[in-house]
Amino acid sequence: MTPLIPRARFLLGGAEIAAILVFAAAFAVPTMTRSVLVYSVMNQALVGVVAAQSVWIMLRMNLLSFASPAFMAIGGYTVAIAGQHDITDAFVLTAAAFLLPALVAVPLGALVLRLKGTYFVLVTFVLSQIMQLLLFETPGLTGGSNGISGIPPVTFLGTELATNKQVVLFACGIALLATIITACLTRYFRQHFAAIEENEILAESLGLVVWRYKALGFVVAAGIAGLAGYSLVTMLLTAHPSSFESGTAVDFIAYTIVGGRASILGPVVGTASLVYATNLFGTHGQYAQGLYGALILVVVLALRGGVVGTVASLVRRIR
Amino acid sequence: MEQFLQAGIIGVSLGAQYALLALGFTLIFGILGVVNFSHGGFYMLGGYVAFACVEHLGLPYPLAVLAAILVTAALGWVFELLLIERLVDDHLATLMLTLGLYLVMSTVMLQVFGPLAMDFRFPVTGALRAGPIYAPLENLIVLAICLMAILGLWLVLFRTDLGRGLRALADDRQVAMAQGLRPRILFPAAFALATGLAGLTGALVTPILSLSPGVADPVLATSFLTVILGGLGSLGGAALAAFIVGIVEAYTSVYFGGSIGALVLFVLVLLLLVFRPQGLLGREARGA
Amino acid sequence: MSELRVEGLAKRFGGLRVFQDISFVLPSGALLGVIGPNGAGKTTLINVISGRQPASAGRIVLDGRDVTNQPAHAISRLGLARSFQQTNTFKSVSVRENIARAIRFGQRGIPKGLENLLIEFGLTARLDEQSDKLPYGLQKMLGLAMAFATSPKVLLLDEPAAGLERAERNNVDLFVKHVREAGASVLIVEHDMDLIRRLCPRILVLDAGVLLADGSPAEVLARPDVIAAYLGDSEEAA
Repeated sequence: MTPLIPRARFLLGGAEIAAILVFAAAFAVPTMTRSVLVYSVMNQALVGVVAAQSVWIMLRMNLLSFASPAFMAIGGYTVAIAGQHDITDAFVLTAAAFLLPALVAVPLGALVLRLKGTYFVLVTFVLSQIMQLLLFETPGLTGGSNGISGIPPVTFLGTELATNKQVVLFACGIALLATIITACLTRYFRQHFAAIEENEILAESLGLVVWRYKALGFVVAAGIAGLAGYSLVTMLLTAHPSSFESGTAVDFIAYTIVGGRASILGPVVGTASLVYATNLFGTHGQYAQGLYGALILVVVLALRGGVVGTVASLVRRIR
Repeated sequence: MEQFLQAGIIGVSLGAQYALLALGFTLIFGILGVVNFSHGGFYMLGGYVAFACVEHLGLPYPLAVLAAILVTAALGWVFELLLIERLVDDHLATLMLTLGLYLVMSTVMLQVFGPLAMDFRFPVTGALRAGPIYAPLENLIVLAICLMAILGLWLVLFRTDLGRGLRALADDRQVAMAQGLRPRILFPAAFALATGLAGLTGALVTPILSLSPGVADPVLATSFLTVILGGLGSLGGAALAAFIVGIVEAYTSVYFGGSIGALVLFVLVLLLLVFRPQGLLGREARGA
Repeated sequence: MSELRVEGLAKRFGGLRVFQDISFVLPSGALLGVIGPNGAGKTTLINVISGRQPASAGRIVLDGRDVTNQPAHAISRLGLARSFQQTNTFKSVSVRENIARAIRFGQRGIPKGLENLLIEFGLTARLDEQSDKLPYGLQKMLGLAMAFATSPKVLLLDEPAAGLERAERNNVDLFVKHVREAGASVLIVEHDMDLIRRLCPRILVLDAGVLLADGSPAEVLARPDVIAAYLGDSEEAA
């Protein structure tokens, strides 16, 4: 009889490697073009995909998080405040942008994740609302409704990343880092996350300490969102409350759901398509959310796997 | 002293408004297990429908409010019947559906009415003076209507067969269905009842506070806080919590200004989750 | 020693009293049946003992340790496993993956006798099939196998024979035999009286949330109050 317990051979699967390759390849794009429009759309997408991955991690366990703007704010403002004190080193700031939101997520996660999943959704939604208030009510630290502007550019190994092209390359780097972290986490704990997603009650009755894995996912997701905040603030050279409005959580959720929640490529495909589509709206960008809403309805009602899932099942059927 | 009493009156009035919203939200959650992300959207829709009836159709305000209730209830009924029914046991899917609905609804309203705040005023102005107390009539009227609506809801839920059916479904769906209660009619009814209440609240409150695309999110957040405080699925808890939230908000905004109230409430709710996660009157909160 | 002791256990849900004053001891290695009409609270009793729902009153003592109101994963870690009345597996993955998860989450390695059990159930031949695609009876067997795969010291079985064909019910006997050989004690909630009489030297009778009787099948099933409790339930009339 073949061994009962399948032995995993590689940590990363095909989808993860594809995702990492996408971002590695992305470095080439800014060297091939000088179009400001391409840089802009690409930068937006690179920020969005990291935030979408933050949502995706929790969605692996059937939990919908609305907290990404809140953790992005922590990451972004940390970088901005550090910049005010002339700390601009990329490695230091990356670590800070990841660790501070993650630390905040630890007590929150321990509190909320032992309760039913509904509490998680509600509390993360309120958290993003509260973060906005906090930003406005602490002008001494965060600049209040003015935010913090004139942030010095990132320095990477001594070089200032000041040009548009360098900023986009930096965003590629952050996205690549985030993808590697996300891929490693979700692959290493694949069995646990999948069990929780599919049948939490059964998993717990077999002895799995479900809330600990949810909390772990939440902490890493917070860190990833922090990285997205870092990338956003670097793109804008400003940390402003309007960048971290609670409504943006819906965008990242849409990217993930529409792209497909079953694969790490889902957030990548979803972000790329929806950011591109939004840019087609031009000056009528506020209608993009209507499109997102319609697409979410379509995906949930008919195309459960999102774009990636639907394509994958078509491929399987053709074979 | 006057300030204290005045803040109290505002607090109670806010409490009644929040109670209508929280009760509706709890109805949907308790009976269908659905977290209604479009709840704030229906509040907003109620406001816009009433505004359109007054501004563009020239209807008197009371009829406009009635129209708001009918439109929001009808939309809720249809939405539940056509979309939510298909996936009613998948809680994440139904949440996503309500989110999708909200996004579409709010974009349509944005397209029709634009991004700026509407000039929508409550038809009754002036205030009641009783000694040192100064109470704006609009607050009192809204308070009265909200209290009547709460009473009406109580009567429906506890004194009619429909209400008994709804409560049985909320308590234990399997048992209720085994006893012949049909979710086919009852689920859309519950949803419509809840969205109608949200629409009523919107039609009443937006002329006093403001009517713009941004009003939905804070309403949703307040509803969430209130139901966590009261206990997910508990109607009594929702009502009680709503008044506590309204009063806390009124006093903190009068004495401390700004949005400290919401912050205070959020911290209070987090503390509550540590020591008493089932809320004031809720049942079990533990996961899985 | 893996004694399960339940003292004065009660469960209320809203205004409804599901059961109260439930006290019994399941000694190490013993086999206890629990019978009672539908709605008597038997599944809820298993839910409360296994930590899936909190108790309203009373104590649960496992191996001398008070585990009342501990979460399900903690109680499972301490060696108490349960099966489910409805088929309950990880539907989208294979039989092999289901068992692998049970072993991994149980964290006590592969129990002796698991491989033989799988062969006898006929699951070995279908290790790579998706568990959802198995016939009902096999899915139930898989559920039992998964509970066993966590190497429990105490096993609570919730109507293991429910929905099984006559021929398949022997598998339950087989399962209980394997479990007892491994040294675990078993509590079986069942409606199938033949099975109960065949397997259990001692049974509890639960009716409307109250413990009516605790003794050998011969004693208990002759009692008039037990018979009366069943006259209201048309499914099994002793």
